[in-house]
Amino acid sequence: MRPALERLQLIEHHLLGRPTAAEAAQWRVQLLTDAELAADAATQQQLYQALHEAGRRQLRHELELIHRRFERQTRRRDWLQTTTNHLRRVFSRQPRASQ
Amino acid sequence: METSASLRHALLTQREPTLTRIYQRTFPLVRRYVQQHGGSASDAKDVFQDALIVFYEKAAAESFVLSSSVSTYLLGIVRNLWRRELNRRSQLPLTDLSEEHAQHMAEEAEPAADGRDSLPVLDYVAQLGERCQNLLLAFYYFQQPLEQIAGRLNYGSIRSATVQKFKCLERLRKSVRTAVAHAVAH
Repeated sequence: MRPALERLQLIEHHLLGRPTAAEAAQWRVQLLTDAELAADAATQQQLYQALHEAGRRQLRHELELIHRRFERQTRRRDWLQTTTNHLRRVFSRQPRASQ
Repeated sequence: METSASLRHALLTQREPTLTRIYQRTFPLVRRYVQQHGGSASDAKDVFQDALIVFYEKAAAESFVLSSSVSTYLLGIVRNLWRRELNRRSQLPLTDLSEEHAQHMAEEAEPAADGRDSLPVLDYVAQLGERCQNLLLAFYYFQQPLEQIAGRLNYGSIRSATVQKFKCLERLRKSVRTAVAHAVAH
């Protein structure tokens, strides 16, 4: 990977990964002494928050589609049930053919 | 009852059919509960979808432990959210807002003065190409296994999907930085 991508990966490791206690301690010192790194980490954190929010929106959209399908199926099932009940009533009223 | 691990796996690898199955089983219970507690069918839909989002985010975490059935778990979340919503509604003023109050609320809703905080980073995510957006959301929000993402988006290997993921993240960062520089310059 290019160095710029490796830097993103390094920051990601510290923001989202599981750094060891020693790595975390060293990271805190680096952030204090390297303003550019601290700014990059802050921006990257912002990106993750935005991706989280975008993901929620996507999930909400998917749930809306599932809901619409569910309502359609329920309406169809209710219609079938009503029609079947109606037909049952109609046929049960008709006199049976004489034997 | 499904184990936490199998449910988590199903949600992460087969999200749509798994959520559909949960929806079909649980929504009728939620609708009944909300309607019995002063809400409408539309309220039930909103509160259930909020609960499913909370549930997905919890389930996606590796530490997720399901101690009851999915329906019971979701109903628990729904009860909390619905109680909170009823509280919120009971605190809404019954009369129209006074002009002074409306002005105050409008001021509160103004974006932060700090350009960096008010930047619509979310808009830049939407502007990424569909492929990059799919890749980043699948990995960072939906927590799909990279192996599955690589297969679905036709990357030759996990390694190549990883490189692509960072390239997409870099593109997003560049758009945000350009916007920050632009905002600072003006």
